[in-house]
Amino acid sequence: MTRRIEQVVVVGADAPAWMAAAAIQNSVSAAGIRVRVIELPTQLQPADAYSALPELAGFHHRIGLPEDLLFTLCKAVPIAGRRFSNWSGAALPFIHGFDRSPPPAAGLGFTQLWIKGRQKGLRTEFENFSLASVAAKAGRVPVAAGGAALHAAFGYNLDAGAYSALLRHFTMRGGVESKAATIADVETEGDRIIAVILNDGERVEADLFVDASGPRAALIGRMRGADVESWREWLPCDRMLVASARGLRPLPAFSQISAFRHGWIGLSPLQDRTAVVAVYDSRETSDQAVLEDLPALANMPIGGDAIVSGLSQGIRRRAWVGNCVAIGESAFSLEPLDGTQLHIVHYCISQLMTLFPVEAGAFPEAELYDRIVHRLAVNLRDFQLAHYKLNRRFDMPFWDACRDAAVPETLQRKLDVFTARGRVPLNDDETFQEQDWDSLFIGHGLMPQSYDPRVDAIPEQEHIAQVQARLNDIVGLVEAMPPVDDFLAGVNSRQAAEAEAVG
Amino acid sequence: MSEPLDIVILGGGTAGWMAATALVSLIPPTSYRVRLVESEEIGIVGVGEATFPEIRNFNDAIGIDEAEMMRATNAAFKLGIQFVDWGFKGSCYIHPFGVHGPVGMDYIFHHRWLRARRLGLKGDIQDYSFAAQAARDCRFELPETRSTNLDSAYTYAYHFDAGLYAVYLRGLAEKRGVIRTEGKVKDVVQDPETGDIRSLLLESGETISGDLFIDCSGFRSLLLGKTLGVGWEDWSKWLPCDRAVAVPSERDELSPYTRSTAMEAGWRWRIPLQHRTGNGYVFSTSFIGEDEAAASLMRSLETKALAEPRMLKFQAGRRVVNWAKNCVAIGLAGGFLEPLESTSIYLIQVAIMQLVPLLPGKSVDPRLRDEFNRLIDLQYERIRDFLILHYKLNTREDAEIWRYCAAMDVPESLTRKIELFRHSAIIERYRDGLFPPTSWLSVFIGQGLIPEAYSPLADTMPGENLVAHMDAFRVDILDRVEEMRRHERFIDLYCAAEPAVAPMGTEVRL
Repeated sequence: MTRRIEQVVVVGADAPAWMAAAAIQNSVSAAGIRVRVIELPTQLQPADAYSALPELAGFHHRIGLPEDLLFTLCKAVPIAGRRFSNWSGAALPFIHGFDRSPPPAAGLGFTQLWIKGRQKGLRTEFENFSLASVAAKAGRVPVAAGGAALHAAFGYNLDAGAYSALLRHFTMRGGVESKAATIADVETEGDRIIAVILNDGERVEADLFVDASGPRAALIGRMRGADVESWREWLPCDRMLVASARGLRPLPAFSQISAFRHGWIGLSPLQDRTAVVAVYDSRETSDQAVLEDLPALANMPIGGDAIVSGLSQGIRRRAWVGNCVAIGESAFSLEPLDGTQLHIVHYCISQLMTLFPVEAGAFPEAELYDRIVHRLAVNLRDFQLAHYKLNRRFDMPFWDACRDAAVPETLQRKLDVFTARGRVPLNDDETFQEQDWDSLFIGHGLMPQSYDPRVDAIPEQEHIAQVQARLNDIVGLVEAMPPVDDFLAGVNSRQAAEAEAVG
Repeated sequence: MSEPLDIVILGGGTAGWMAATALVSLIPPTSYRVRLVESEEIGIVGVGEATFPEIRNFNDAIGIDEAEMMRATNAAFKLGIQFVDWGFKGSCYIHPFGVHGPVGMDYIFHHRWLRARRLGLKGDIQDYSFAAQAARDCRFELPETRSTNLDSAYTYAYHFDAGLYAVYLRGLAEKRGVIRTEGKVKDVVQDPETGDIRSLLLESGETISGDLFIDCSGFRSLLLGKTLGVGWEDWSKWLPCDRAVAVPSERDELSPYTRSTAMEAGWRWRIPLQHRTGNGYVFSTSFIGEDEAAASLMRSLETKALAEPRMLKFQAGRRVVNWAKNCVAIGLAGGFLEPLESTSIYLIQVAIMQLVPLLPGKSVDPRLRDEFNRLIDLQYERIRDFLILHYKLNTREDAEIWRYCAAMDVPESLTRKIELFRHSAIIERYRDGLFPPTSWLSVFIGQGLIPEAYSPLADTMPGENLVAHMDAFRVDILDRVEEMRRHERFIDLYCAAEPAVAPMGTEVRL
């Protein structure tokens, strides 16, 4: 065996850098591998928030971060889904809930029953059969909710600065060294980074460099073959505004995403405020115009902390070159439309751990990592793009163009098979499962033309009974869930009791 | 309510009766009427006496009682496949139906094993597979499904008489409403404009019309290949075997695994059933003559032959598409991969189970057709790569076929997998496809590819603890296996067949 990896350097800032460092430290420090963080200046604004899918809890569990700290230190609010409104002129808003039910036996899911029911005159909207969506509407938190067939989980809205600080503290306490710096130069030899030269002249060598610097791509951006393939032809928005508004009382259990004439705005409840984000196309409107319209669009006063930045969506052709691995937004970036920013970070990290290089001299793992990250990115891009493609805001040039534009073949196949039969062909490395795509497609008004013929084998009375039973089960389960404020009070009293016990 | 659609299945072998039974069991007669046309004059190939665990999902879905089916087909249990002399002379490994190491640890277990080996751990990776150990010791019991302990670390399949399985299914299918027509097809009538198949004209003069035709006519591919002219994709440059010669022999030890022994020009199977042992030699005529191969098979029998050996011709590959116009091919009419990993019945099953949810209405929806074809292609290609691996990964110098296979170019997707495993012990997983990483692991290691390194994630435990851990786990398996019933005993208690005379000798079985 040739020489093992001994030193890993993570270059980046904010949550992604500390997530990477914590995970690597946790997995391989006992194997004698040292982790050091070169902490670049933050890219966060005070108004920034992260939205996270329920799977983040699994990541916290693996690195040993107690979940309660998110609620006591990061102003976190648990959410059961994301509510989409104004994406269609006439249709009602819908909630993409965080349902996590196990896949149905033999692939015959409830969606198929619903499609037939709909054709026979069932009036109940699809989202009422989603445990998470009903919980979200009722302001309840799906705490370990559900039985064998129905299961839902909660994600989080987090104060981005506080969450990054918590991770930083937690990671440093775990023995990771760090140094705040900027990169003056990168010394390479062929495809390898030999050293990173910092602004104070220090030369930092390592066997493996992890680029967690976000879209600025401090390392991977300099590597050969890692140029960016833009997705603008499909995803036209190129500006993002973040700001704060007052907190909501009582706290809702969802984030709100509303389309407007030139893009969309998102409202994410936090304990002390509401994080506001607007994403739009600079060819359609100006930053100033959006800022002026924002209070009306958000239906609340907006604080004075608004900051606008450019947004470029696309993917690097290679996410791992030589000994440099890009994670999260260093590898590809999307809008925060579906709350996946942190998800892509921890998914990339977990792939890096599975593919952790076995030696410091050659990295055949890179090719597989590239393919996995590419599939992850394409699947998420398609999910996001479907919101635009399926919009029904007619007679608005921006939205008409989005609806009329051709979409990539990967998304077209999903749209086609769903339209024809209500099934979603999933690829490898899908973040969202069939129940998520069903919710997205049906929510935006895409109605399947036919259903799985096995549904006709269920007698009509039994079909009706099954549909009714699901509604009843959901109502019962949701009633047992705590409202958001009770959930947070519960965390606080638990923490207070622990503090007392320690004190 | 609209008129039900007519589905016509051509061919009554394993594929035809599996399709007929599934359709009539899963879909009500108000939606589809199912007819099956077959001729008793045409022999069936009767693919796959050995199956893969997925067959149980199929049987469950269509409502088959396991013990009853096993009694009716002289079935025995199967915990994996033993490969003898593959990779190198003297090798012997089991591809088990279950993980190596503890449940839920398969991402890291083999890395730990590789490290422990360097630290002096003796023994084989199979020692850490519950299924392999139970198989080796000829034990069987039904797995525990609701726990994460050893008893849930495996699954199982069957060895059965595929001809009897088809007969058993026919009984079910006819009882459930499938109409069977005896007859030979004289002509196929197509729509002059669309080219869709409209009806089958039988030699008796009867016309069988339909909306959807399922071609289960075997290698002849009468509808998809011959009538619709769908082309064939030839894979024989990677899988050179083109013949099988098969012969049943008297029953001997009822080992709960299929045995595949590499030979001078291919490989030989041994499949123990309750009433006899199935044997066959899959070979390439580029490397051996038919007579010589048959003689070689007869010499190798461990028990007395019960019939004359029968010869079967084939080529590895598949139709360019398996669904064209209003015709779907299932089984050999759509493609063929040699039974090295017992995948023939699986390929039938997966085609049926993908077709059912995508069944067309009065006219074929190209979106559903394309999706079916995409899924079937993935299945074929992933199995193909896994089969090629067995041939490619060898260091045998003693026979021409092995030298050819070691040197041949293989699909790039496979080269990548082999090289990544060789360097880093990493195995890629996929969503749609039969073989999980543990299957790949067993073949890689079993055929002598020991990775050059292992993941640093396996370096976190002190070495002596690791070796002690591995030893303790191995002993746990041995202890638990010893408590299990003998396979023969379990069959006697659970599903012993009536000592009836089984039909035999008219079929070649794969």
